[in-house]
Amino acid sequence: MPLLQVRDLAVEFVTADGVVRAVDGLSYAVDAGQTLAIVGESGSGKSVSSLAVMGLLQSPPARIPSGSITFAGTDLLTLSRKQHRAFCGEHIGMVFQDALAALNPVYTVGWQLTEALRARHGLTRRDARRRAMELLDLVQVPAARQRAREYPHQFSGGMRQRAMIAMALAMDPEVLIADEPTTALDVTVQAQIMKLLAEIQAERDMALILITHDLGVVASVADTVTVMYAGKAVEQGEVQRIYSRPAHPYTRALLRAIPRLDHKGRQLDVIPGRPPDPLHLPDGCAFHPRCDRAEDVCRAAPPPPLAELPGGGSAACYFAVEVMADGKPAERAES
Amino acid sequence: MGRYLARRLLQGLLTLFLVILLLHLLTTWAIQLNGNPALAFFGDRVPSPAQYAAVAERFGLGDPCYAQVGNPCLGPFVTRLGDYLTGDFGTDLRGRPVTDIVGTAAPNTLRLFAVVTITWLLIGMTLGSVAARKRGRLTDHGIRGLSIMIDALPVFVMLLVYRYVLAVPLYTWAKDTFGSNSTVALLFKPSFSSDHPMITVIVPGILLGLTGSAAFIRLVRAAQLENYNSEHVRTARSKGLTERHVVLFHIVRNSSIPVATAVGIVFTEALAGAVITEGVMNIYGMGGVLWKAVRDSDVSLVVGIVSLLAIVTIVVMILVDLLYAALDPRIRYE
Ligand SMILES: Nc1ncnc2c1ncn2[C@@H]1O[C@H](COP(=O)(O)OP(=O)(O)OP(=O)(O)O)[C@@H](O)[C@H]1O
Ligand code: SF4
Ligand SMILES: [Mg+2]
Repeated sequence: MPLLQVRDLAVEFVTADGVVRAVDGLSYAVDAGQTLAIVGESGSGKSVSSLAVMGLLQSPPARIPSGSITFAGTDLLTLSRKQHRAFCGEHIGMVFQDALAALNPVYTVGWQLTEALRARHGLTRRDARRRAMELLDLVQVPAARQRAREYPHQFSGGMRQRAMIAMALAMDPEVLIADEPTTALDVTVQAQIMKLLAEIQAERDMALILITHDLGVVASVADTVTVMYAGKAVEQGEVQRIYSRPAHPYTRALLRAIPRLDHKGRQLDVIPGRPPDPLHLPDGCAFHPRCDRAEDVCRAAPPPPLAELPGGGSAACYFAVEVMADGKPAERAES
Repeated sequence: MGRYLARRLLQGLLTLFLVILLLHLLTTWAIQLNGNPALAFFGDRVPSPAQYAAVAERFGLGDPCYAQVGNPCLGPFVTRLGDYLTGDFGTDLRGRPVTDIVGTAAPNTLRLFAVVTITWLLIGMTLGSVAARKRGRLTDHGIRGLSIMIDALPVFVMLLVYRYVLAVPLYTWAKDTFGSNSTVALLFKPSFSSDHPMITVIVPGILLGLTGSAAFIRLVRAAQLENYNSEHVRTARSKGLTERHVVLFHIVRNSSIPVATAVGIVFTEALAGAVITEGVMNIYGMGGVLWKAVRDSDVSLVVGIVSLLAIVTIVVMILVDLLYAALDPRIRYE
């Protein structure tokens, strides 16, 4: 049994304009020592699904009409909200996108690093201070002793994200969820943070869920990939296979949108159109208005189900096998 | 920090100087237009020029400029400033030193203020926090409705209703039940008693505090709401902390920053309210004395008390700034 398993998860928001289904039938699993990348455009439900795992959705407006989230045999959704959060505090750490907003501006970094240890495990101030320094060393923040006494606004972006990671690691979690941990940073710092996350993950044999909208980032770190579109997983599988032979036109489009060094100066293949309005999803396949492979069958209900692919993985496209056989994704479509 | 403080103190002194100058000009013109209050001393009698000059001199209004409309009377102004610098704040029209009057009146105002502050802090923090926590629910709507209702009732209406409608029957009942010198009876005594300065100030203080708390409730609610949905609170929750811990250390603590700025505003509001409250409830405090001094055109007293109130306000504003910096590490004054 995998360490963390999400099955058929749905999350809805009750809004004045109607019910938004932000996550629809999402399933995935991660094991210790494994990295799962969840990839998708803005609004595809990446954050909402991980907040559901952590028990951090505000309800109302959020509700979870179906699904299960199992951590080592415990279904988190059967726990009370209080138990759920306490459980995740012990076992699952979360790194948020914008560390400046995600850290409390009025407490020192050291205080925040060890807040849970003091409040929940009764660490003394002295032990807490030592632990804060260890954690900062772990994420390679120099001059840890002095840094622990500073406030988040005194940190640079990269250092702040490192502190954020250190905080998520404070309780020695078995699973770390990193929600776009590098989007707020510049490219060189992004690479450093990615490397750090990969190192820590390998060293501690942790399960890592890496959320990003950039498929390019995950190539070297992920083991498996889940591609999300409009709240649904549209393709899942091994990272190698997804890179070399994507089965869903959306995945293929995402791969073409990766900036490449050898294509410098050439225009990027951005995906035409916009993600759909979650209140008015198109009939049939939600991707069809933007799909370069769409046919009449795609426009008629029902949407294509997520189906197993020959050779492993799965994709939600009527033409998955053909798309996969099409070959190299990095080549531009002639137009 | 030291330099910032020095700058603020200098600013404060300048403000104080301008306040005194403005007061001086206003009172001077009032005298020039309405006639010298020294004349009132003689009632219906017509004084001889020598008598008049002697009285005007004693009131500090002997300078001929007070008879010339439009003359800013800078001479007496400079004299007054000089006197103030040596600690001489002059006397009222009856010859009682202003410092002496302030010495008896200020403690009563302080008592009133203590009750007011405790009331609005308690009510504002409690109801504001509850409303934020129950946002969108019936409790929240109820509290917001209540705060608007309180706002719609000016403090003097509350005081008049209390004093002329409620206080008398309550007082009579308490006297009959517990005896006329009992705590309960004194609590409802319709007017201030200098023998029991604390207890007779409680009800007016609570009423005044209640009026101030209306805006404060909404402020606390808004400040906390902003934090309830903020990312750093979500982070705190992701650490598995109890909701109680999160509310205390991340919501109440962070919302104390905007709340602290309101302290200055509420303070000046309460100061204005104190003048009215002391007037209506006959409390012998700074506001009551000022109220009377203005009616009597008692120039030295008016200028003396207002200057003192200005000093207190300036000090409070500086303290609020320091508090603000103490609460928010992102703010550093240099
Ligand atoms: N509080 C809310 N009320 C209503 N709808 C919401 C709420 N929060 C999220 N949603 C909806 O859920 C959908 C998914 O949002 P989510 O934040 O998970 O996207 P994301 O994939 O993380 O995107 P991004 O890359 O921008 O972080 C959005 O389309 C949004 O409309
Ligand atoms: S089902 Fe049709 S529209 Fe949807 S991704 Fe596949 S080809 Fe495109
Ligand atoms: Mg997100």
